[in-house]
Order: sequence, then structure tokens, then C-alpha cells
Amino acid sequence: MARKRYRADNHPGELNLTAMIDVAFQLLSFFLLAIKPVDVYANLDAFRPSPEKTNVSTPSSPMITIMVLPMNPGESGVYVMNDTPMTTPQVEAKLKRYADTDPTQTILIMCAKRSTHQQLVVLLDKCAKYKLTNISVVSSAGI
Amino acid sequence: MRKQEEPYLTGNLTAMIDVVFQLIIFFVCAISMQNNTNDDSITLALAPDGKEVRDKDPREVKIDVHKDGSVSIASQPMSIALLEDILRKTVADCGNPDAVPIILRGDESVLHEKIQGALDACSKAGIVKVKFAALKEKGG
Repeated sequence: MARKRYRADNHPGELNLTAMIDVAFQLLSFFLLAIKPVDVYANLDAFRPSPEKTNVSTPSSPMITIMVLPMNPGESGVYVMNDTPMTTPQVEAKLKRYADTDPTQTILIMCAKRSTHQQLVVLLDKCAKYKLTNISVVSSAGI
Repeated sequence: MRKQEEPYLTGNLTAMIDVVFQLIIFFVCAISMQNNTNDDSITLALAPDGKEVRDKDPREVKIDVHKDGSVSIASQPMSIALLEDILRKTVADCGNPDAVPIILRGDESVLHEKIQGALDACSKAGIVKVKFAALKEKGG
């Protein structure tokens, strides 16, 4: 009687995963250290009246004029709103009041030559906060 | 007759896994390079209440105004006169000045007189709508 023979080498194949897991962890730790959180950007819309257009049409509601004055180091911001000197929180409170009345009214921002760009951005940010959209930025001739 | 033993089909996967990881690293690096088109030397002012930028317009022109007052587009420094020429040509190509989105990226410490040059170039090219870039949220 023929004896049934079992194959001695009939075992499943093995794959050594140790090296691959090592590399995967190395890559994971590398990317965790290398990835920098992304900055979120914002765009602040404004109009720049053309210097060639001299005939400015009269707006339906009174225009709000805000002058951005140069500031000394350490100051938070110097503004003159409708001929009244103000700090940033005072300007913000006024803008909120104007926005509650009419958010479409024209705001004319006049920047002094020696004022910083940050002051303008802060002001535009406050306007964006209260959904004031009709903003024009001009440069003042003096200072 | 004795049946011949079938050999196991084995494959060495090491080389393939190496290549896969190399490709992953390549694509991760390439994507991060593509995203980083902004000039990192410019410190943007914070605007936490500004409208977040979600979609990028492929037509947009980003004008960088550096701390020293120099103006550049796509890291190419240029004079105000050249900037004006470029903007005029862009407007002529588009046919409508309102169809040219202008993003002005000014350093927070730069004086307005330096920004004024870039703004005047936009105005002279017929562009009246300008977007000022700011940082809504600092990543880290």
C-alpha cells in the first residue's frame, strides 16, 4: 500500500515587515516635525480713486473721512475721523454706529505719507468687521 | 510517477516599497513648493475680521511691497514705471480693468508713501479696485 507523503516544506511565506515599519515611523516623525501650520490670509477690499477723474459725484449720504496719521513707536494708532482725533477703539465704536445706520455709506481713508501700512490694514479690518464695503483709500499730500 | 514539487512563487517587495516611499516624498515636497508662492520676507499685518481667502483667481496679480519700499511681482523686483507698464498691458489683455484682481501685499512696517507708488500705478492703469492682503490667522 502506497503511503501518503506530506510535503515537509508546505508552510506559508513570510514577509519581514520590521524594516518597513521602521521606515514608516521615521517618515511619520519627520513629517510631524516638518509640517508647519498654514497661515490663513484675508483680503481687504478698497477702491483707489483714479487721479484723472476729477469730477467726483456727490454721494447720497454724507461721506465719512478718516485720516491715518503717522504714529510714534509704541502707539496703537492715531486717526482723525471727521476732524476729531481718535484712538483705534474710538474709531471702531464710531464705525459700528455708522454701520448700524447705513453700511453702504462711503468711507474715505486718507493716509499720511509717514503712516505705516499696518495702521491702514487695522482700519480696513474694522470696516470689514462691521460690513462697511464702500471704502476708498487715498494718499494725503502732506506729512 | 512521483509528482514534481511545485516551487513557491516568492517576490522581494523591498525595492518596490522603497520606490513607493521615494514617490511619496517627492510628491509631498513638490506640493508644498507649489503652494508656497508668497514672499515670506513680507510680514503681513493682522486682520482677524477680514474676509478669508478661499479661492484663488488665476488672473490675480500680487504686488509685493517690501519693508525697504521695493516693489516686486512674483519675486521679480521692478520700478514703479515698469509696474505701471505691466498693469496697463494686463488690463489691455483682459479688456476690462475690473477683471484684473490686484492683491497688494505690503509689509506691516512699510510707510504709506511706498504703498502709494504701487497704488498710483494701479490707478494710472485704470484699476480702481484693490485688495490689501493681510493675515487673518497666524499658523505658527
